[in-house]
Amino acid sequence: MAEKFDHLEEHLEKFVENIRQLGIIVSDFQPSSQTGLNQKLNFIVTGLQDIDKCRQQLHDITVPLEVFEYIDQGRNPQLYTKECLERALAKNEQVKGKIDTMKKFKSLLIQELSKVFPEDMAKYRSIRGEDHPPSCV
Amino acid sequence: MKITNARHTSSAGAKWTMENFTALFGAQADPPPPPTALSFGPGKPPPPPPPPPGGGPGTAAPPTAATAPPGADKSTAGCGPFYLMRELPGSTELTGSTNLITHYNLEQAYNKFCGKKVKEKLSNFLPDLPGMIDLPGSHDNSSLRSLIEKPPILGGSFNPITGTMLSGFRLHTGPLPEQCRLMHIQPPRKSKHKHKQSRTQDPVPPETPSDSDHKKKKKKKEEDPERKRKKKEKKKKKVGWQELAQRVHACPEWRPEALAQGNHSVPATLLQAQAVLRVLTPPLTPQSRHSPDHPGMGSSQASSSSSLR
Repeated sequence: MAEKFDHLEEHLEKFVENIRQLGIIVSDFQPSSQTGLNQKLNFIVTGLQDIDKCRQQLHDITVPLEVFEYIDQGRNPQLYTKECLERALAKNEQVKGKIDTMKKFKSLLIQELSKVFPEDMAKYRSIRGEDHPPSCV
Repeated sequence: MKITNARHTSSAGAKWTMENFTALFGAQADPPPPPTALSFGPGKPPPPPPPPPGGGPGTAAPPTAATAPPGADKSTAGCGPFYLMRELPGSTELTGSTNLITHYNLEQAYNKFCGKKVKEKLSNFLPDLPGMIDLPGSHDNSSLRSLIEKPPILGGSFNPITGTMLSGFRLHTGPLPEQCRLMHIQPPRKSKHKHKQSRTQDPVPPETPSDSDHKKKKKKKEEDPERKRKKKEKKKKKVGWQELAQRVHACPEWRPEALAQGNHSVPATLLQAQAVLRVLTPPLTPQSRHSPDHPGMGSSQASSSSSLR
């Protein structure tokens, strides 16, 4: 899995470097640098071919659209990962709290119902396979 | 590579929740199980008759087969008050009660991203990328969003540029105008050296630059004559030892002719040398041994002892 990304990363780095060198050639162009420019242009074409080949290996990778928003705003995309993890943990804690509260509520309800409807609750427990009333969590 | 929109996963989430819901509360489409000994049916029975006006809460007797209206389903008649009951969710099912980050082994990632401060700018993530990448993409129309909204025309393959096609890339000689030099603009980077300087300067009490400069200059002026004197003394000492060496070498016993004659014996020459030294140099007193006039002695001893340590 990581090899695919390493491959793509390598090709992208090469491509960026070629573009940078092309920019340097173009920024102060001299007639003698025409051959270098032609060479760089062909390197860019081959670089694009290499990147296009990587596309086949990465068809099963999904990227959240929000990451692109971060990049477009000039922000570090690792912040998205960070926020995702923080949100997941917060939601996890919320749900855990709800589950614990519901468990408490259930035990208290069964306790109170057992006082008022002892026969029915005994029936309920027998259906549930609970011999003893559940204690409060 | 696919691009997913997390916001659009609400339908998927709804599906997931519905699946969970059916898992928790049993599928509605499932065929009804055969009636058990307690005859709890899956379907909802007809609503119970309204309680009598005089009866309070809890006084109504549970509906039994005897009280069930004629024509009602007998399988649901014996359920009592528990006719809506479904099976409890399994304890092995993954819920929010467990720490999902530890469950999916994401502790390392959590500590990596949430333990320390992640730098805000994109250039911190891609430091080797040329150009000013911290600016918003809409600024120079280079946003990834526009790439998705208006995808480029695809389908063609990348072919190398032939010689005749390359003739179209003949450029004018000379530098590009300043506004076109996008590649040369780099985001400002803080050097570590500057940080170190600022840290070392922090504990020093603040001084006005003019005062501090003046003090330094004064100190330099004060120190200069002392240093000059010390240097002169050192030179003198050096000259003295050189002279001494010259005198020793000038001694007739040490001349090459005398050495060639073989008049010298090792102990005799050593004694002579000692005698010459005694004559030429004043006797060393214990005070003078450690005096600043003989710094070489103390320092060499100290250095040798320290080196042994």
